[in-house]
Amino acid sequence: MTIILDPSASLAHDITDPGPDAGSLAGKKIAIRIDMLWRSWDWVSDIWAQGLRAEGADVAFWRSCGRTGQEGVEADRDYAALLAKSDMAIVGLGNCGSCTSWTIADALTAAATGIPTIAVATAHFEGLAHNLAKRGGRSGLRLHILPYPLDILPKEQVHDIARDHYRPFLRGFGVRSRLAEQSAA
Amino acid sequence: MAQGWGDGLPLIPPTPDRVQDFLIAGGRFPDELIASLPPLRAECTVEKIAINAVMAGCTGDAMPLLCAAIEAMADPMFDLAGLNATTGSVVPALIVNGPIRNRLDIPYQAGCLGGVAGPAVAIGRAIRLIMRNVAGQVIGATSQSVYGTPGRVAGIVFAEWEERSPWAPLAERRGVPGDAVTAYGAMGTANICDVVANEADGFLDMIAKSMAYPGANGFLPSSAFSEALCVINPIWAEVIGRAYPDITDVQAYLWDKCALSIDSFRPEYRNPIGNLGRIKPDGRVHLVPKPEDMLVMVGGGEGGLHAAMLHSWGTCLTVTRPVVAA
Repeated sequence: MTIILDPSASLAHDITDPGPDAGSLAGKKIAIRIDMLWRSWDWVSDIWAQGLRAEGADVAFWRSCGRTGQEGVEADRDYAALLAKSDMAIVGLGNCGSCTSWTIADALTAAATGIPTIAVATAHFEGLAHNLAKRGGRSGLRLHILPYPLDILPKEQVHDIARDHYRPFLRGFGVRSRLAEQSAA
Repeated sequence: MAQGWGDGLPLIPPTPDRVQDFLIAGGRFPDELIASLPPLRAECTVEKIAINAVMAGCTGDAMPLLCAAIEAMADPMFDLAGLNATTGSVVPALIVNGPIRNRLDIPYQAGCLGGVAGPAVAIGRAIRLIMRNVAGQVIGATSQSVYGTPGRVAGIVFAEWEERSPWAPLAERRGVPGDAVTAYGAMGTANICDVVANEADGFLDMIAKSMAYPGANGFLPSSAFSEALCVINPIWAEVIGRAYPDITDVQAYLWDKCALSIDSFRPEYRNPIGNLGRIKPDGRVHLVPKPEDMLVMVGGGEGGLHAAMLHSWGTCLTVTRPVVAA
């Protein structure tokens, strides 16, 4: 019998726990990570931010731009500073390969600080997002999935999707509020 | 293949004896960690490199180059996490400089970007197997590449024809003299042909204007940054070198001409590009932000007539590392 050696590698640890629930929104500081790519995520997160503020939360946006070179070093520092003063993080949008990679990487960074964290991706990239979270050592990372394709839809239609997804999003995030607990119907 | 370890081509079984030979040739401890490779973020040890190199058909003397290439690709500046997941068709091209080019028979003359027989194919394939088996880059699972590229099978591994270059070697210009490997995030290779030009500005104009196409990642409304690489054949290089003995003048020329008018973009593109601060006062948008982002090297056959352009995927910054012999 010929013995052959294993060419593959695997990650030794995995955190299957989704982390703490978001709980109550009132008085909480919420970081929303947006990016340079997806206008649809700007539109969705804007609608969601209105809802979060209506529940008494303080929402701060952070836009991910260049992530390599000196610009990347500064971005990482700014993001870490934002997380340090935030009670929870909403991170998106996974709507392509590399942007899903960065979305999950930034969500894992947020989750590693111990704050309630949820990543957002579109349906086509759901599998990738789960895979990257698992391979990043945190398969339990919360993930909310928006329809795909999203970015080619008109603004009004994206706003409707954002409103339709708001309550399911809150429930997935572990938000305890009357609105989150209402049925979507 | 049943284990998901292969690329579809026959593999050489990585038996302990064969792997041991590679480890001896590499001169490093098998459990030495070279890098943690995304998306899996698993540890890529010297032994894992050796196992995949055996499977790919490499020879042991390539181990120092393989280790240096993995180190370069794992540099955070290279953004391997994004590169391995992207919808784009990017593959890390490896450019070899220094005497090791000849010791390993890395091609830099006719057919250097593909087709010439030699060990570069197996070296490139070893890197691709490492990306698959160690980094965990698998189409449909972690890689979303819409088309992929032939370079994802056997890589793009070539060298610079330093002896025919009027300028210092690419790696030396990047601060690494001698044996070195440069990892560059290439969106494949494309050809530029010119049978009319006979002086430097003519060649450079054709190269620059050919590289400036609106679908290049460097022109994306979300791209604040990109690089570009052109490989100039030795016949043209000699002519260009006489006119521009300073390589920075060549880069400046190419940078200037490699641009599009903002008016050539549809209106919905103009604001996002403008928001990145990329529209110059003369109304042009350059493919790359600065002249030094236009990488230039010499290679290819003496038939002339053609240059090669390798556009960058975008956010990955080119990384050069020394190749340290065992």
